Amino acid sequence: MTSIEELRVLPPLAVGRLGAAVEPMDNYTAETDPDQPLAPRRLRPAPTFRVDRTSGAITGVETPGELRFTDGQGKVRPVAPFLEVWALTDDHVLRPLTLDLLRLNGLTPGDVRWRVRVGNHKIQRRTYDDRDRIDADTEWFSDHAAHALNGLCPNFLEGRSLPLGHARYLQPTPGFPGVRLRFTPAGGHVYGSAYTDRPTDPDPNVVDFLYDATKGTWRGHADQAGDPRLTIPAQIYAGDDGPNGSWVSRGYLDDECDGLVHVKLEVSGRELTAFGRIGAGPPAYAPDSVPIRTVADELDQALSGPRATAGDTLEQARAVAEEVLRRATETVRLMNTEVMNGNTVDGRVDAASTMVRQDTADTGRLFEPIMAPSLVDTAAVLALHQNVLAALRSGTAPWFADVLRDHDEVGDLTAKGRRKMPALMRGADGRSLALTRRQVDLVRLAARQAIFRQDTDDPEVPR
Amino acid sequence: MPELFEDQAPAVAALSVAGSLGAEEKRPVLPPEFNWRDYTVMLLHVAAEIEHSLMVQYLFAAYSMGGPQVPEARRDDVRRWQEVVLGIAKEEMGHLVTVQNLLTALGAPVNLDREDYPWGSDFYPFPFTLRPFSATSLAAYVVAESPETWSGPKADEIKRVAFESTGQYVNRVGALYSRVDAILKDEEFLPDESFHAGTLPYQASWDEWGRGYTRGERGQDSGNVPDVKSPELLVFGVFSRDSARRALHEIGEQGEAPDADLEDETSHFNRFLGIYEELTAWPEGDQALVSRPVAQNPVTEHRLDESEVAALGVAEVTTSPITDPVTALWGHLFNLRYRMLLTDISHAFRLAGPVDNGGVLTGRGALVHRAFAEMYNLRALAGRLVDLPLERDAPDGPRAGPPFEMPYSLELPHHDHDRWLLQRDLVQASRLLTDQLLSTDPSCGGDPYLVALRESDQRALEQVEHILSRKGCTR
Repeated sequence: MTSIEELRVLPPLAVGRLGAAVEPMDNYTAETDPDQPLAPRRLRPAPTFRVDRTSGAITGVETPGELRFTDGQGKVRPVAPFLEVWALTDDHVLRPLTLDLLRLNGLTPGDVRWRVRVGNHKIQRRTYDDRDRIDADTEWFSDHAAHALNGLCPNFLEGRSLPLGHARYLQPTPGFPGVRLRFTPAGGHVYGSAYTDRPTDPDPNVVDFLYDATKGTWRGHADQAGDPRLTIPAQIYAGDDGPNGSWVSRGYLDDECDGLVHVKLEVSGRELTAFGRIGAGPPAYAPDSVPIRTVADELDQALSGPRATAGDTLEQARAVAEEVLRRATETVRLMNTEVMNGNTVDGRVDAASTMVRQDTADTGRLFEPIMAPSLVDTAAVLALHQNVLAALRSGTAPWFADVLRDHDEVGDLTAKGRRKMPALMRGADGRSLALTRRQVDLVRLAARQAIFRQDTDDPEVPR
Repeated sequence: MPELFEDQAPAVAALSVAGSLGAEEKRPVLPPEFNWRDYTVMLLHVAAEIEHSLMVQYLFAAYSMGGPQVPEARRDDVRRWQEVVLGIAKEEMGHLVTVQNLLTALGAPVNLDREDYPWGSDFYPFPFTLRPFSATSLAAYVVAESPETWSGPKADEIKRVAFESTGQYVNRVGALYSRVDAILKDEEFLPDESFHAGTLPYQASWDEWGRGYTRGERGQDSGNVPDVKSPELLVFGVFSRDSARRALHEIGEQGEAPDADLEDETSHFNRFLGIYEELTAWPEGDQALVSRPVAQNPVTEHRLDESEVAALGVAEVTTSPITDPVTALWGHLFNLRYRMLLTDISHAFRLAGPVDNGGVLTGRGALVHRAFAEMYNLRALAGRLVDLPLERDAPDGPRAGPPFEMPYSLELPHHDHDRWLLQRDLVQASRLLTDQLLSTDPSCGGDPYLVALRESDQRALEQVEHILSRKGCTR
């Protein structure tokens, strides 16, 4: 039997990326070059759905000959993820929801109903004014038109809304019979705040004025020192120096968002529902690099717990250790380590927003570089990471578990604590970044185990 | 044993100078051909070689530990011990660079040399021997690091085992340091102006060399293995008589804890002793399985396989030639990277670090990082060598192990430009070896480590070429 019992939206979390080009970004993979294992990952074009703009149907699958991240006119191509509906049928199999499966249950694509709700609450997070919340809601729909995600906000200028992209229920066809929704993020623009009781100077940074700076407080807002509700660190918005060391907001808005994709289907008198999460972030300007701690790592930890489990093989643990090092190498490649370390730059002390500034501001401690200033020449640090990665590929046990920062060491401001890895980087709480507990534990597992191996050992034996 | 203290007139050659710790109230006597400053420098040269050779022997022992033959129930212990021995070796590296700092502060050249076979000088604890980890080799380390006050039945027993395993009474490392201290503390021997504070920017600092290991924070868990404390890397800058004495005192204490309670777990002596007691409590059958079947003193040169009798009537030192052709290539690669490590350290001492917050950087930081990278390479290569056959056509015979052979010279060219030429030579030599390994042996074709090493050498070559092409590189 193939009676539909439950629904799922897969992937459960999809991250889009902003871009103003009309055509979304093609699919690609990032692979390690076996002949140059220390080099950045190579991007390889991958099979990509082509969607007919008129009908909303997938017309084919193409693997592009080359990858282009812009449309050639200076506009970035957005990453527009597909969300698929899967069904758990009465034989306990999770399978894609298709035209056939719908038909077997006496349903058509028109019976599938969608609703997308996204928001951008960045202003409200800082002003604590609920009228600064920006929300968009498509309401329920079953058609295949593009549904604009228009962000509405009580403190906007009359009749204005923030474009947050659009969602489209793709029309299933015999060739591509799956039930899918595509989320296309917004263009990646900066919007401004205008006064209604006085003239507003033009601003070359903004494409339009949306926010009513007379009605709301966002333009001219300054975080109040000592307020326990502040973001950590505070003052992370576009602004200018104000009186008494304050940081005064210019009233800018971006068009990022995140929210929920709901799907609903009535089967044999029962209403089945499911939802997935979507978000839109800035474009990937280093698409051949992976951050050292990703959402995927968080999900892995949520799924498997903070420790290595009995099911984790030594080989997996070693792979995690190597991946951590690879990402660290990719990250160093993108950093100006001399500046990030708090070295004097062209005679300037405190030349940028760094963990050194953070440590100094939070504790009143002396502005003190993190690593020995002689050690942070960017080329030398990059070479060091590449060398560690090379040595790790020999199969020797990772030896650097010692210097990984534990989750409960993020506030350790001793020299040893500040120098732990990942170094020079900030976590979400304004203190030094740490890997997930599970990442650290897997590296330690590999560190403990690897000396008993022999090259002939079967690598995939669970512990 | 003749002594160069005033109550015993000097009767023998200069190097026969082992004093005892209890001799603090005695005044050292100057041997012929020296003044006090030069004599101090000579003793520090010996100290550097001792620290260097202990470090290498401990590393060899640590690398030999483990292997598939270790019983499952024993693995946690073996991995823990290995971490302890590696930690002690790392601390010896700290001692080694601190001795270089002392030499630098006195205006003397650094010394990264190491006596190869044969072995002789009565300050050296025991004949230099690369041996797989075992209860008998461990006994020698316990005695070498022991405080003068260590006695009793247990001490006698371990000293007996050490004697049998080395063929001589094992000298205590501490004896040399107390001799140096007896000179340092006396203004008549070395006036204050002998200590050049201006050399500090050239000296190794903990901030550069400590790599996140503890500094004076005992008792932090190491992250690699549960219940093993992080090593405590001591790197002291020397800028005065007091700082010189403190550096030596701390090094001595970390070795043998002369002033500490014998139960103090922080000294090398107590850590080695603890492992010795745990290991000897095992059944003998299990004891024999703690290490891989690694040969003693593996060498890449095709010497005749015969015993060389070392000086001073010590035990015979037997070298084990690596005759398997592929293993020999790995051994040569190991020796070359060892040479690169010593060159990087030595080169780093020739360049000043920034005296402020690094507004202008020299190549020093890059050299320090390269030195650490070579340590990681040595670890990786040793991991290969303890798994590769020593002898041609004996695939199931003894394993090779890392040879740690000294280069023909450690001298650096006078001009910085020419030092970078040497660096380039070494990288190119490594490329030749890796290419040879990758192309000639099917078992190495596509070896992920060799492929990565080749690439990192290529990148290093580009960096060296960049330095050589810069106008800032002086001739």
